Amino acid sequence: MLNAKVLLTTTFVASTVFAQAPAPIAPPSANAPGAPADVSVKQRPTLTPEEMVNQSREYAKNMAEVLKRIQVLQDQAKREKDIIRLNCVTDKVVQVRVNMSIAEQSMASLQEAVTRADEGERTHEFTRLTIVNQKVQVLGAEAENCIGEDLSFVGATKVDIEIDPNIPQYDPTQPPAPGIDIERPGEASPLAG
Amino acid sequence: MNRRLALWVPLFATLLVARAASAQTAGQAEVTIGYQGLPYKASGEANTGIQVSDGVLLHVGAGAEAGYDTNVFYSNVDPIASPLIRTSVFGDLSNATRTGAAGRISFDARAGVVYRRYQSDDPNVDNFKNAWMPTAGLALSAGGGQFGFGIADTFARIEDPPYNPGELAPILRYNNQASVEGRWAPGGGRITATLRYTNMVDIFQNSYSYASTDSNYLLLDASWKWLPKTAIFVNAQQGYIFYLNEAEAAAANKESSFPLLVTAGLRGLLTERTSATLALGYTNGFYSGISSTGGLWGSTFADLSFTLRPTVLSRIVAGYRHEFQNAVVSTFSYNENLYASYVQQLAGRLALDLSVRYSHRNYQGQFVDMAQQLIGREDNFVQLGGTLDYFVRNWIYFGVGYSLMSNGSNIPTVEYVKQQMFVRLGLTY
Repeated sequence: MLNAKVLLTTTFVASTVFAQAPAPIAPPSANAPGAPADVSVKQRPTLTPEEMVNQSREYAKNMAEVLKRIQVLQDQAKREKDIIRLNCVTDKVVQVRVNMSIAEQSMASLQEAVTRADEGERTHEFTRLTIVNQKVQVLGAEAENCIGEDLSFVGATKVDIEIDPNIPQYDPTQPPAPGIDIERPGEASPLAG
Repeated sequence: MNRRLALWVPLFATLLVARAASAQTAGQAEVTIGYQGLPYKASGEANTGIQVSDGVLLHVGAGAEAGYDTNVFYSNVDPIASPLIRTSVFGDLSNATRTGAAGRISFDARAGVVYRRYQSDDPNVDNFKNAWMPTAGLALSAGGGQFGFGIADTFARIEDPPYNPGELAPILRYNNQASVEGRWAPGGGRITATLRYTNMVDIFQNSYSYASTDSNYLLLDASWKWLPKTAIFVNAQQGYIFYLNEAEAAAANKESSFPLLVTAGLRGLLTERTSATLALGYTNGFYSGISSTGGLWGSTFADLSFTLRPTVLSRIVAGYRHEFQNAVVSTFSYNENLYASYVQQLAGRLALDLSVRYSHRNYQGQFVDMAQQLIGREDNFVQLGGTLDYFVRNWIYFGVGYSLMSNGSNIPTVEYVKQQMFVRLGLTY
């Protein structure tokens, strides 16, 4: 009878213990020395090739609008002869044009990849286009925030001079003003004058 | 020769209006000795003047003086005294701003008239009771950089009782002084050159008509500033003076002359509060007749003047000048002049002006009066003036004034003591 109770209890406890899931393995800490960085792309675009092409065209259109807007800002700065702002906006224009050049190349490559049904190349070019578009949008925002002379230009050098009020304002080194004094003539003769 | 010290009290009221026109353009601090005429504007005041248009300011004023003259005819023999009144009006149009700056082109045109009336019932005064003395002045100046140009003209008519009460006509004088000058300051302005021509037409009427002259002076001045407001200079001036009424002048032994003056010295600030003019040089009258200036001292010109500004509102001037001067009573006179002036402003309301001058005049050459020719003539002339004005507002003032003129001489008949006392009231804006 006693052996039967011990067997039953042991069985119950053991089943409870074995019923527990194994302890999870702690993930490797990012700061842990020697731990490799996770640089893998977790997600792939879910767009179809046609959607990618359409989206890239939308990107190109947006970038062209940004360039147009920055050129307007550039013309404004030229008209106002605000050299500080003009330099800033021109720098943005140059950067936008470079990025748009990259975008055009990516567009061409994207279309070729679509034609070849090369999914890897297509995804790569679309990713480049996305990044370039984001950079152009940032440049557009920066161009809008270019600050002109009124806020950043300190103006011409101004010198304040304090002159001792005791120093005469006129120039005492100049020759006397013309003017021959006239005085009452002396009595020339008791008989005349 | 004496270009900066106005000496004759009655002339001041008239001359100041005209002379200030040219003085303003030259930027000089004029020192006037003797009784000061009615003030041009409130002391230290910069907010007066009617803005006629952009950049054109009009100052106007009118004043009256009532007083007493102890010696109308400048004679110690039975001097005749008389109450008198003197009124004046003036207008001044210029492009100077209220702070005084005028820009590269400046002009100043002034005109005024003084009316003087003796109130005495003495029959000797009757012929000389009323006198009208108009004045006018115009000054134009352009430049300010390397090149500058200026012209100026002043006119005054002066009328005063004669020395002899028996005379029927007053001493009447028309004086016009015109000048044109060019200024050159190459580089940074340390070296400055001025070339100036001055013409003075001085016309006497009545008993002094023989003394009417036309004076011409050509001046060349070069200065080098070794400090911003201190310079050493050399100055050469050649004149030509001739008499307009040749026959009368010849009868009075008057001779034309070519006065030359060459000086060198220092002008400008010694310290922030002290300035000086030190000039020493050679002078010669070069009279066309038998007598002329000469000798070491007679050929020497000396001008020493010190100005001290103890405070912003006060100024003290003291000076000495040795020179020769064309004379009416003889060919010329050697003059030793000592003078001092004290100007004080108090609280922007009170203006005090005190000045004194002593002049020793040693007459030389051909005398008009042959009796004086025999014994020679030396005069000791003292002039003292004082005014105190209180500005109730910046456009209205009242004050008092006192004038003393005294002439001592080795010839008793030309000695006199003359005093004038005034109360005065005026408007100026």
